[in-house]
Amino acid sequence: MSVLETRECTIRFGGVQAATDVSIKVGEWEIVGIIGPNGAGKTTTFNMITGFYKPNSGTVRFNGVDITELSVHERTALGLGRTFQNVGLVKGSTVRENLKTAQHLHAEYGVVAGMLGFPRTFRTEKWLTDRAEAVLEIMGLGDIADTRVAGLPYGVLKRVEVATVLATDPDVLLLDEPSSGMGPEEAHRLGDTLLELRKEFGIAIAMIEHHVPLVVRVCDYVYCLNFGEMLAEGKPEEVRNHPEVVRAYLGEEADNPIVQAAEAAIEELVETD
Amino acid sequence: MTDRLRTALIGGGVALVVVVLLFIFGLQRALIFGLVGGATYSLVALGLVLVYKSSGVFNFAQGEFGTVAVFALFLLTTNDVPYGLAIIGALVVAAVMGLLTERLVVRPLFDAPRVTLLVASAGVSLLAIGVEIWFGEAKLRNVDKALPRQGRFKIFNASISDQELLLIFTLIVLGVLLALFFNRTNLGLAILGASQEPVATELVGISVRRLSSFTWAIAALLGGLAGVLTIPIANSFGPGALTAGVLIPSFTAAVVGGMTSLPGAFLGGIIVGVVQSVAVTADFLEDVPGQSSLSVFVVLVIVLTIRPQGLLGKSA
Amino acid sequence: MATEVTPEADETALVDTPDEHGHHAQPHTPSTAGWAGRGVVVLLISWLVLLFPLSRDVSDLRLYGLAVIYAIIGLSLNVLLGYTGQISLGHQAFVGIGAFASAYMVSVQGQPFFVAVLVSMVIGALQALVLGAISLRVRGLYFALITLSYGIMAEGTLFNIEKYTGGSAGQAAPLPEPFETPHKFYYLCLLFLAAVVWVDWRLMKTKGGRALLALRENPRVAATLGIDVKLYTLVAFVVSGVFAGLGGALFAHNSEIVVSNTYEFRLALVFVIMTTVGGLRSRTGVIVGSAFFALLGYLIEHEYTFPLVGWHLNIESLLAKLPGPDLTAELAPLVLGPLLLLITLIQYPGGIGQQLRPLTGWLRGNRFDIHDRGDKEVVVADVRA
Repeated sequence: MSVLETRECTIRFGGVQAATDVSIKVGEWEIVGIIGPNGAGKTTTFNMITGFYKPNSGTVRFNGVDITELSVHERTALGLGRTFQNVGLVKGSTVRENLKTAQHLHAEYGVVAGMLGFPRTFRTEKWLTDRAEAVLEIMGLGDIADTRVAGLPYGVLKRVEVATVLATDPDVLLLDEPSSGMGPEEAHRLGDTLLELRKEFGIAIAMIEHHVPLVVRVCDYVYCLNFGEMLAEGKPEEVRNHPEVVRAYLGEEADNPIVQAAEAAIEELVETD
Repeated sequence: MTDRLRTALIGGGVALVVVVLLFIFGLQRALIFGLVGGATYSLVALGLVLVYKSSGVFNFAQGEFGTVAVFALFLLTTNDVPYGLAIIGALVVAAVMGLLTERLVVRPLFDAPRVTLLVASAGVSLLAIGVEIWFGEAKLRNVDKALPRQGRFKIFNASISDQELLLIFTLIVLGVLLALFFNRTNLGLAILGASQEPVATELVGISVRRLSSFTWAIAALLGGLAGVLTIPIANSFGPGALTAGVLIPSFTAAVVGGMTSLPGAFLGGIIVGVVQSVAVTADFLEDVPGQSSLSVFVVLVIVLTIRPQGLLGKSA
Repeated sequence: MATEVTPEADETALVDTPDEHGHHAQPHTPSTAGWAGRGVVVLLISWLVLLFPLSRDVSDLRLYGLAVIYAIIGLSLNVLLGYTGQISLGHQAFVGIGAFASAYMVSVQGQPFFVAVLVSMVIGALQALVLGAISLRVRGLYFALITLSYGIMAEGTLFNIEKYTGGSAGQAAPLPEPFETPHKFYYLCLLFLAAVVWVDWRLMKTKGGRALLALRENPRVAATLGIDVKLYTLVAFVVSGVFAGLGGALFAHNSEIVVSNTYEFRLALVFVIMTTVGGLRSRTGVIVGSAFFALLGYLIEHEYTFPLVGWHLNIESLLAKLPGPDLTAELAPLVLGPLLLLITLIQYPGGIGQQLRPLTGWLRGNRFDIHDRGDKEVVVADVRA
């Protein structure tokens, strides 16, 4: 049984059909890649999964349960975590505060109790702080724990975002272009981290990616979207070499031998890193 | 169906419904009073919509552009300046205030959230009121009308003074002028363009900063006109005259018509004016205190919850 | 990321220079002398707030009471404006409802003071809840319009329903039994302020406050982190309404009468000014700013004497030297207030609170750093408009 699934999700905005019959499955312990040119509907699909958009037709299922009608925060409570293209953090707060905010659902006291200062709330807050500290240690972010997020460099922000989303204790992680802005070395290390997450925490992952070597290395299964439709799906190597996929990325020139040679050369360069 | 046609039909349709309802309830007089009151709101709303279309700002100082102009008019006429020149002088003062506001407050906050600008413009209006009280004392004064004759016309048993006709006439003329300006002239189109694509506008060689100054000057002129034409009707005025009872109904008018629609400002002004007038004169609301501000509040809440883009505005 | 080089914290360094994130090698522990110095400052402030008023006469005490009440009102507006990013330009109505409710409960229903205060808080909360519900449907800028219109409507309609508000004569609100002198009432207000500060402090230190800050800045991200944005927005309104209702009740009894024309829209703008100039999200700043605006007229007309050097200072007479008509103690705040607001918005967004950071940081046990300005990017009311 798949842990996360979209069944024929379709959504229209005004006159634009942003996604048509998109069906994606993420199985337990799986890392699934979602690729496609810009504007293919990848983030739209994520938005439907997390609940920012409600599809015009189709359903989203989490562990077999239909969550299409649930609100965003209710889906997070079920175990769905998500990162954003332009880094989803509370930029005005410190790293530590972000981590504590992310544990919102684990703070087991009422809002009013918190405001009035019942003793139990102090204890729970201490516990949350300790948990945050633990995540900071694991992610190597200890020395910037009390720095405001807004001032941090982009690469660090991405790590903080991953730490934050992990603090929500997800069973499934949706990553929106996690390697953007990273060089080949960093992307490789990101791949290590993702494999670790799967191994240590049993987290299933769905990621939107443009970085082909990362996808090939890490993903068990890949979906390619174009113009809101499923273009191809399968094992990473199959999808990558699928003529439709190549054409989608490179346009009509895909059959041009010069372009093919260039593409092969680039692939080789990237892989040797 | 083109947008223009749809706009005209909606406007005409709503107007027709309102007029018929008033006749049914025997409240024709309210129609006339409402038209006159509404004309003021329309005039102020035009300035509000202009600023909103060009910079996305809710300009809380729009009323004070008018009050300052009236103070200037008062000063000039009591110092024996001929009325026509005094009006021009008052409008110049209003325009200067608009330019100063743009330069000292709006421009430094160009990139700030729109709400900061809202609060800042509220600050400007408060500052203006404070200065008015400082130099002008908190008392009421009188200002002569441009056209003093009363009661020349009676429609539906309500008499309209010459000054009120002047107000309505000016409004209509302005409406036509502004429509021509924004739809036909390069400058007008540039102002609309700058609000949507400031970078592109600069690249094409138009100074967005100059446009901003120009827009605020025009808005201030509109506010000033509202002041000098309307206040003499009520005859007496004090500090904050156009902010106290006029600004919120005018904002409501702009919202009703659609904050992005200049024709909407007209329609909205009339609607708010008539609703307010009905609320004040109708029997069934006799015992409710503060009917005029209550009716405006109700209209605002209804429009914002049911149709936030107003009657003629673009859908969000 | 590991390409950044963080200088190793050298624990034997003679000079403890901060690294590029402003962190020192070790957290600073003040010496005994340092603590003594801080103790003296705290004692001075305590004397000013607690003992100094004892020697003043009754009319001054009412004013000091007003300053404390304004502080409570400022904190209530700060919850909406500062923590949640909701613009409320009709806050005078929140306060007024509390004032009239308390006056009605005491004068007409003959209830004891503390019952009346409780009723004021509940009514304040309910009314805020209604506005909160509206805010969920209406975006930032437009919601500001609604609050302004609501405030004006409240003044004209709600506060003129004669049965509850006594019509134009107003409603009496006498000082309550155990606190029948302005002196005693002042200390009562201080107690309430302390309670409000406690609740505000605990709010921001727990999940509620963090939820507000997150949803203010980025509601999508907040939702993804598990925060029910709608619920917490309403919570913010309720808390704000409770504090404002309390402030209103105290306001009523401090003046001993409540009349509707006190609650005109300009009062709402005064509240926004004092909270903004005080410094959004800074409790100390908001308290100082609100008290300042309450006392501004008094501070200007007061004759200050410095006995040791025999100097006399009167700001009002200094202002009279400006050109034009006299800028009296009554008029000056009308001009100074908006001017300070504009300066804060344009130049010093963090307000007084930001400027006081060197002092408050020092009192907490940090090094005194004159350049400490905290968050460089405090933006006023960044609402998703």
